Amino acid sequence: MQLSRVSKPPAMSFSPALRRFVRTLAQVGLIIAIWLLATWLSQHLLPNVPPGIAGIAIALGLMALGLLRREWVADGAAWLLREMLLFFVPVVIAVVQYPALFHQHGLAILFVIVVSTALVMLATGFAVDLAWRLEKRWLRRQGGDADGEPG
Amino acid sequence: MASPVDLLIGLFWLVLTVLLYAAMRHVHQRRPHFLLSPMIVVPAILIATLLLLRVPYASYASQSHWLSAMLGPATVAFAIPIFDYRQIMRRHWLPLSFGVVVGMSVAVVSTVWLCRLVGLPEAIERSMAVRSISTPFAIIAAPQVGGQADIAAICVVITGIVGMLLGEWLLGWLRLDTVLARGALFGTAAHAVGTATAHRRDPEEGVISSLTMILSGVLMVLLAPLLAPLI
Repeated sequence: MQLSRVSKPPAMSFSPALRRFVRTLAQVGLIIAIWLLATWLSQHLLPNVPPGIAGIAIALGLMALGLLRREWVADGAAWLLREMLLFFVPVVIAVVQYPALFHQHGLAILFVIVVSTALVMLATGFAVDLAWRLEKRWLRRQGGDADGEPG
Repeated sequence: MASPVDLLIGLFWLVLTVLLYAAMRHVHQRRPHFLLSPMIVVPAILIATLLLLRVPYASYASQSHWLSAMLGPATVAFAIPIFDYRQIMRRHWLPLSFGVVVGMSVAVVSTVWLCRLVGLPEAIERSMAVRSISTPFAIIAAPQVGGQADIAAICVVITGIVGMLLGEWLLGWLRLDTVLARGALFGTAAHAVGTATAHRRDPEEGVISSLTMILSGVLMVLLAPLLAPLI
């Protein structure tokens, strides 16, 4: 990244904001290419692996092998993750396709989702907390260093 | 097939969605009240508009579907934070896997049980059972337990929004000490919407959340064929 900035001829220099925009756009393009490859793989070779998982595995594998440098996709990935909520909007809008269903059962569905989500959160939070304490105690008994207190 | 007018109408909805989102994100950053969250206001305005003007969903989605198409590449983008924080996964795989297994079991059992309690039809129950995992996974897992992929997808996103609000509220008085527990809470219960929330709260929490979200999705897709006869 730094190198290209230095070696670029003056005639090609854009404002930093524009250059950053083009770079992010190109990186998003590269991530979309990985996604398309993953979709093709999951359609033709690995029907039980969802394309999302295949794509993450491909990207991680390429980075572990050193074939894909983190800097080549980092800005694009950060942008995609930051704006991800926008991509969910059309999915929610799909409720207008089922007016009768959500008119009749909407409140009951919402009730189930709220209560169940709260239960999942409580159970997961306490399960991880408990397992982490056990892991810490176990590591200490092993004589190992249990310094890795996260958070 | 699609006339220029249809194309323009489709583009209008796409542009309106993006502009509303950008405007509400700006407002939400200045006044971070949950009711001003873009995930609440934008769908509410759009749904009300479509219903009032009697616009069919196909017309809205003709170009806006490009936005939901970006969910795929956005899932792939999680590879970067996972790569950056791979040491956390290597070190804490045990609590995280344990949390995911507990979380997914509670999700399926509580959903089925609550649906029966309030008397929801079996078709909805089956579409809801897989709802706490991410959309791409839910679309695969839902038909395997006899659910409907698009209803599952809607319930997935509603779950995400509910989880986003509930999570922040619960963590306000739960006092979970570790970033592991806080991140896993978002990842298992509220998939990518929860992960986006966790990421905004703290990047490390976001990473834990994305790891547990992926583990949950994989676990559910693998377990769905086995669960089907039990539901």
